[in-house]
Amino acid sequence: MSGAQNQPTGLRYPSNKKTIYDRNLNRTKNAELSRAAFAYLFVEMISYAQQRVRGIADLEKRLNNQGYPLGLRLLDLLLSRSSNPLSSIRPTRILPLLQFIAQTLWRHLFGRPADALERSESDASQFMLYDNEPLVNQYISLPREMSQLNCAAFVAGIIEGVCDGAGFATEGVSAHSVAEQEGGASAGGGMWPGKTVFLIKFKQEVLEREEILGRGGG
Amino acid sequence: MVLYSFYIFDRHTECIYSRRWTPRPVSSSSKAARPQSGSSITSSGDAPTGRKGMSHADDEKLIFGLVFSLRNMVQKLGGDDDTFLAYRTGEYKLHYYETPTRMKFVMLTDTKQNHLRAYLHQIWANLYVEFVVKNPLAPVEHPGGIGVANELFEKGLEAFITAVLPA
Amino acid sequence: MVVFALFIISKAGGLIYNREFHSGLSKLTSNDYLMLAGSFHGMHAITKQLCPAMPAPVNPSSTAAVLAPSPFSGRPSGLEVLESTHFRMQCFQTLTGTKFLLFTEPQQPNIDSMMRKIYELYADFVMKNPFYTVEMPIRCEKFDRGLDGFVKVRS
Repeated sequence: MSGAQNQPTGLRYPSNKKTIYDRNLNRTKNAELSRAAFAYLFVEMISYAQQRVRGIADLEKRLNNQGYPLGLRLLDLLLSRSSNPLSSIRPTRILPLLQFIAQTLWRHLFGRPADALERSESDASQFMLYDNEPLVNQYISLPREMSQLNCAAFVAGIIEGVCDGAGFATEGVSAHSVAEQEGGASAGGGMWPGKTVFLIKFKQEVLEREEILGRGGG
Repeated sequence: MVLYSFYIFDRHTECIYSRRWTPRPVSSSSKAARPQSGSSITSSGDAPTGRKGMSHADDEKLIFGLVFSLRNMVQKLGGDDDTFLAYRTGEYKLHYYETPTRMKFVMLTDTKQNHLRAYLHQIWANLYVEFVVKNPLAPVEHPGGIGVANELFEKGLEAFITAVLPA
Repeated sequence: MVVFALFIISKAGGLIYNREFHSGLSKLTSNDYLMLAGSFHGMHAITKQLCPAMPAPVNPSSTAAVLAPSPFSGRPSGLEVLESTHFRMQCFQTLTGTKFLLFTEPQQPNIDSMMRKIYELYADFVMKNPFYTVEMPIRCEKFDRGLDGFVKVRS
């Protein structure tokens, strides 16, 4: 990216002086991208992340890092695009934030809302967001020795970026495949073989703040 | 219907009869020096580079090697009672018939032709057996094609082809 | 309606995928399959050489041209269909030289559309898979599953 600054023209400084920042933010609101183009880009992103990687956890961490800045930026973009001016302030409570992720963010990225949202019963700080068929994994078949990997770690990074940007510090967001546990015994790996859960674990101070806000509101 | 060529191979892998109805594409280098009459159709197209310097004899060897390998492949995959019938490319179709005495009849036509196996069988039964095998003057084996291309066989083949495969 | 098997041969002549859907063809050892793929690769090249007349450049009517409009339409296509008494083999060569061999019953209809679908599955689940190395044996679960679903639906 920094290389483009030195060049007289390019994506950042095009010849007609109209940079990407001069465009209306809503210009690409309803634009759709080619899925194949994304798939090939994602192939290269994963290959890049795989260079000199030490293990699967390390690879997932790198994918997560690639998604994180996207989340930060998408939070701003999607809030500014919101049609209702009252709702274009950032979410301040956990539930609206998660709704924002499951609905607005998911629709923007994948054209549909997330499939389910749950709060962990054992751990109050942990939330589960389900996607039955993550778009990023659509074409990916994992080799046997990497069956632990879930490339949706990239999406987990986006979620983490959104949470962080909104002021909800997390212990981390991770993506896990859940099809094995659910449908492994039943026929053919269940209805959604690629089902993925995103575990969102907020930090303790976020929960404390939530409690204070809850008391004040009630 | 376009008929390109017809070959008979004996059981010693030798080509004992061949016949072509269209001149093979000649490499441009050999023809360029000679002034060409307008009547030549096939030599006007560019010959693919791979065919340069290849003679009829080379073609015959290639075809034999090819049908031999394809026949083995078919038998390997489909079992011993399976037989190779034909193959088609975008430009031509090769028909194949093997007699019980392991003689191989091969015919190249355009791609629209359906199975010619029955015709190839008839050529063997009604022409080859009649005019070559039963000819007392022809040798039992035909090294170099001796005794195959006799007058009766040639005429019979000509008549048969014009009768069943009208142009 | 029976589809026996699918082979994929890399542009170097190596067998990178082989899959049996219905029994019907003889069982061979994996070494035999590899040799078969290699020799077919050579035979395919010979069938190109033997072309008795150059294709008319104006109407490339071959099936390969329909599946993938080729910039090399003036060149001979090589073997496309092989027929025997027990099976029919359709060969489709991509622009990059990968060959798909589909073994079916002799009377199987609609092989072209089937081949197109298989090519699509290959483009999606093999070529878009970050963990697949080009020219190497194909081990992609989703490709297998896609083929399964597709062949089952059709038969």
